[in-house]
Amino acid sequence: MVPIDLGKTSVREGNEQIRQHGQNGEDVEIINPDARHHIGVGLVHPITVKVHGSAGYFCAGLSDSARFEVESNVGWGVGDNMYSGSVIVGGNAGAIPGVAIRGAEIVIHGNMGSRAGQVMKAGTLCCAGNANFMAGYMMYGGRIIILGDSGEKVGEDMSAGEIFVGGKVEDLGSDAELTDIDSAEIEEIMEFLDRYEIPFKGSFQKVVNAGKKLRYATSEQQMRSIPFFTFSGTSDYWNPKIQEDLYIKSQIGRYRIRGYGGARPLPHLSDLAFKKDLSAAGNENNIVSKVKMSTEIGGINGANPLKLSMPVMIAPMSYGALSASTKRAIGLASTMSDIAENTGEGGMSDAQRGAAKQLIFQMLGGRLGWNIHDMNRADGLEIYISQGAKPGLGGQLMAKKVTPELAKIRGIPAGIDLRSPSRHPDILGADDLVIKVEELREATGYRLPVSIKLGAGRVRDDIKIAVKDGFDFVELDGMQGSTGAGSAEVIDYVGIPTLSAIIEALDALEEIGRRQDIQIVLMGGIRDGVDAVKALCLGADAVALGTSTIIAGGCIACMQCHVGQCVTGIATQDPEHEKRYEPEVEAKNIHRFLESVRWQIAAITNGLGYNDVSQLSRDDLVALTPEAAAITGLPYEPQYGDADLDIHVRSVV
Amino acid sequence: MCGIAGIMLKDSSEPFNTGEALVNMLNGCQHRGPDSTGFALYGQAQENKLKLRLFVGQGKEADTAINRIKKFLQEQGATIVDDEHVGEAYRVTVNFSGDIQKFSYALEHAAKVVSIGNSLEIIKDVGSAEDVDGRYNIHNYRGSHGLGHVRLATESDVKPEAAHPFWATGFADVAIVHNGQITNYWKMRRRLEQRGYEFRTDNDSELIAVYLADKLSQGIALKEALKTSIDDLDGTFSFLVSTKDEIGYAKDRLAVKPMVMYETDDLVAVASEEVSLNKLFPGQALNTKEPPPGTYNTWSRST
Ligand SMILES: Cc1cc2nc3c(=O)[nH]c(=O)nc-3n(C[C@H](O)[C@H](O)[C@H](O)COP(=O)(O)O)c2cc1C
Repeated sequence: MVPIDLGKTSVREGNEQIRQHGQNGEDVEIINPDARHHIGVGLVHPITVKVHGSAGYFCAGLSDSARFEVESNVGWGVGDNMYSGSVIVGGNAGAIPGVAIRGAEIVIHGNMGSRAGQVMKAGTLCCAGNANFMAGYMMYGGRIIILGDSGEKVGEDMSAGEIFVGGKVEDLGSDAELTDIDSAEIEEIMEFLDRYEIPFKGSFQKVVNAGKKLRYATSEQQMRSIPFFTFSGTSDYWNPKIQEDLYIKSQIGRYRIRGYGGARPLPHLSDLAFKKDLSAAGNENNIVSKVKMSTEIGGINGANPLKLSMPVMIAPMSYGALSASTKRAIGLASTMSDIAENTGEGGMSDAQRGAAKQLIFQMLGGRLGWNIHDMNRADGLEIYISQGAKPGLGGQLMAKKVTPELAKIRGIPAGIDLRSPSRHPDILGADDLVIKVEELREATGYRLPVSIKLGAGRVRDDIKIAVKDGFDFVELDGMQGSTGAGSAEVIDYVGIPTLSAIIEALDALEEIGRRQDIQIVLMGGIRDGVDAVKALCLGADAVALGTSTIIAGGCIACMQCHVGQCVTGIATQDPEHEKRYEPEVEAKNIHRFLESVRWQIAAITNGLGYNDVSQLSRDDLVALTPEAAAITGLPYEPQYGDADLDIHVRSVV
Repeated sequence: MCGIAGIMLKDSSEPFNTGEALVNMLNGCQHRGPDSTGFALYGQAQENKLKLRLFVGQGKEADTAINRIKKFLQEQGATIVDDEHVGEAYRVTVNFSGDIQKFSYALEHAAKVVSIGNSLEIIKDVGSAEDVDGRYNIHNYRGSHGLGHVRLATESDVKPEAAHPFWATGFADVAIVHNGQITNYWKMRRRLEQRGYEFRTDNDSELIAVYLADKLSQGIALKEALKTSIDDLDGTFSFLVSTKDEIGYAKDRLAVKPMVMYETDDLVAVASEEVSLNKLFPGQALNTKEPPPGTYNTWSRST
C-alpha cells in the first residue's frame, strides 16, 4: 500500500497521485483524511483505496471499478455516480449516499442520511443501521438494503428498483407500495451480506414502485397540426394558437405539452437596430477573411478552452428529444464549421462523440447517462440548472421516445413518461454547488471548462452565484428559447426575455466588479448572424443556436417533438421514422446555414467599421421600441427601423 | 447559503479559546461562503454592564457616529466603562440596568447596532475567516461558547451589516447563525411586528432570532421554542442559536441543509460539515452524527 498523507498533500495533488497509482495497479492508503471532500474522485482503475479516518463529500464519486474502504464516516454523496466497484464505510454516511450509482456496491455499517440512493440506476446500497428521510427517492433501478428502520417516506417517487427493509417501515413515499418477496431475492440478499460479513437474522419487507405516476393518464395524441410560425401569429384576440390549444385540451383534459418556444410577442433582439447604415455591408469580396472571429470560451481559469472559429456554438439539445441521426448531423456540421456541439440531457453516444470535434457534456439532475468515461472524453462539462423555455422544471420525454436503447444509455426503465427531476440531488444551494463544481474539476484533473446552463429568471442573483462558484462560463438562456417538450403554459408565461437576461447579467457582474471572471454565451431565439451580432454588441462573449440549426436541418416546425412520430426523423426514436433522415445531407445543410451566420457576422462587423468581433459595443445599437429601450438603456430611435432587414435576407456562402 | 459553526464547553468555569476554535472551524468550510464572516462570542457576564457593538465605519464618518452614540448614551444615563474603535466596529461597555428593548430600539436611531448583551459580542465583516480574524483579533478571544458563520451572498449585498451572526434585535445575548431560506418570512415577520417588535434588516435569519427571543421572553424554554420553530417556519434551514448559557440547533423536515454534530462529555461542537470539526481535532476520526430532519436540541453550560 502506498501512503498518501492529506495532512501534507492537497486533495488535488492527492487525487493525481491516486490516479497515477491506479494506472500502475498499486493500492493506496490515505492518512489524515480529516473529512476532506472529493477523496478518490475520478478513479477508473481496480485498486483498493483505504481511508484511515473520515472522508468528506463525494468520496469515491465519479469512479469506476475501484474498491474503497473508509474506516470512519463519510459526508454527502458517497460513491456519487459510481459505475462498478465498491465502497465500505465503517461509520455513518451523510445525505444522499449512493446517489446516481450505476452498478457499484455501497455498504454503510452505521446509519445513513436522507435521500439515500437518489436517482440510482443499478447496483446495491446497503446500510446496516437506520436510513433516514426519503430513502430511494426517485430511484430508477438497483437495490437498497436497509437492515434497520426505513425512515419517513421510503421509496418516494421511485420509478423502479427495490428497497428491502429489515427494521420498521416507518411510512411509504408517494407511489411506493409493499410487495411480496420471493426466496431467491432473500438468498441474494443473504449472499450479499455474507460477502461483506454483515450478520443479520431478521426478516425483510420489500418496497417497490406502485405504478400510479409513471405515465400520464392520457397520452399526447398526434394531431393535424399547424406549423409554429402560423400558430404563433398573435395579431387577433382569437387566433390559430388559441384554437389549437383548445382542440388539444379537449382531447387530453390537462395542460398541453409541446415542442418549440414561446408564442407571445416579447421584446427581443429584433427590437434593436444598428446605428449605422449597413446597406453596403458585405459588398466586399472575402469579407469573412477580413474580420477576426475566432473566440475562445472556457479558458479563463486555466482549463483548456473551446476554440470556436466564430463566436457561435450549438445549444444543448438532448439525444432523446432528437434522434441519434439528428445529433450526428448537428455534430458533423459543428465540426465542418469548427464550432462546439453540446450533448444536452441523456448522455453521450459514440456516434455523437465521433461526429463533433468539440463536444460539451451536460449533467442534469437525473444524471441520465452521466459517467466518468464520457466526462473524460468531453471537451467541456456543463451543469444544467434550468433552461429558458421552462425555468425551474426538468425535461420531459414521453413514453413513445423512451425506447429500450435510449433507456439503456440513461439507465432507466423503458416506456415510462420520463419527467426528469427539476433539481439536482446534491445542489440545493450555492454552497453545495461549489462543492459539486470542484468534484467535476477534481475528477477530470482540472483540464475541462465547467459551465452552467441557466434559464433566465432571477438572473441578477444567479449570475453572481455562478461567478462565486467558479464557473468558467454561463450558457444564459432567455424566455424565447425552445424545448423538445414542455408544458405550454410554462413555455409561454414563465421566465424573462433573452434581452432582459443579458442586461441583468451584465449589470449584476458590474455591480460586484467581476465581469472579467466569467464568460457569457447567450441563447434563446437567436435566429441568425444579425441577432448574433446584436447579442455580441450588448456584451455576450458568444451565442448558441438551437432551433435555427434544426430548422436548417429539415425541421418543419410542427411542434409535435414530444409525440415521437416526427415525420422528418428529427424528433423521434422510431427507426421507421428516423430512416427518412439523412444525416450526411442534413449536416451539409446545417453547415451551410452556419456559414451564412459567419458571413453575416463578418459583414456587419466590417460594416460597423471593425476588423475584430471583440470591438463590437453597445454604442453600435439603438432601440426601436420604448420597451426595448427601457430594458437595455439604449437610446430610443425608431427611425432606424428595418435598416438591417436587408442583411437578414442577403447572405452568401 | 453558507457554512455555520458552534462550540460550547460543558463545564465553562474556565474560559477557553473560543475565538481560535471558531476561526479554525470556519476555515474548514470557507468554500461554503467566501463573502463575509462573523462570530458571536460569549464572555464573562457582568451584572448591569452592557456590551454594545455598533457599526460606525471608518475615518470621519466613524468619528461622527461615535460622537452621536456617546451623546445618546449620556442622554440615557448609560455611563461608559470602556470603549474601542476597531475596523468598522465600535465596541463600548456601559453601566445600564433599564429596559433593554426600549434602550436598543432608541439606540438604533443613533447608530447601526450589531449586538447588545451582558456577555454577547458579535463581530462580523466582509472577507474570509482569516481576513476578519486579522482585522479583529478573534483568535485571542477567550470565552464560554460561541457561533460562527461564513456567507455566500445570494440575494442581498456583500456588506458588513448583511453578514451573520444576527442578533435578536432588542433581546440581550441572543444570537443566531443560519443556513437556508425561510419562505414564510413576511407572514412571520408581520405577526411579530404586530407584537411590537422591530426589524433592522430583511434577512430571514434576524427573523428566526427575534422569533426565538420572543418565546424566551414569554418564559418558554429554548428547547420548546426550537420545537415550535420547526412547525412555524417554512423553508429549508439548519440553524444554531445561542443565549447566555445555552446553544441549540434546529433542522427542517426536508433535511436539505447539512449539519454535523460532535459531542463528548466535555464539549459539543456543531458545523455544516465534518471537515470543520476535524479542524479542531486533526488526524482523528470523530464519532459524529448528522441530526435527522425535523429535529432540535439544546445544550447548556454549567458554571
Ligand atoms: C429539441 C430540443 C431539445 C433540447 N434539449 C435540451 C437539453 O437537453 N438541455 C438543455 O440545456 N437545453 C435543451 N434545449 C434548449 C436549448 O438548449 C436552448 O436553450 C434553446 O433551444 C435555445 O433557443 P433557440 O432554440 O431559440 O436557439 C433543447 C431545445 C430543443 C429545441
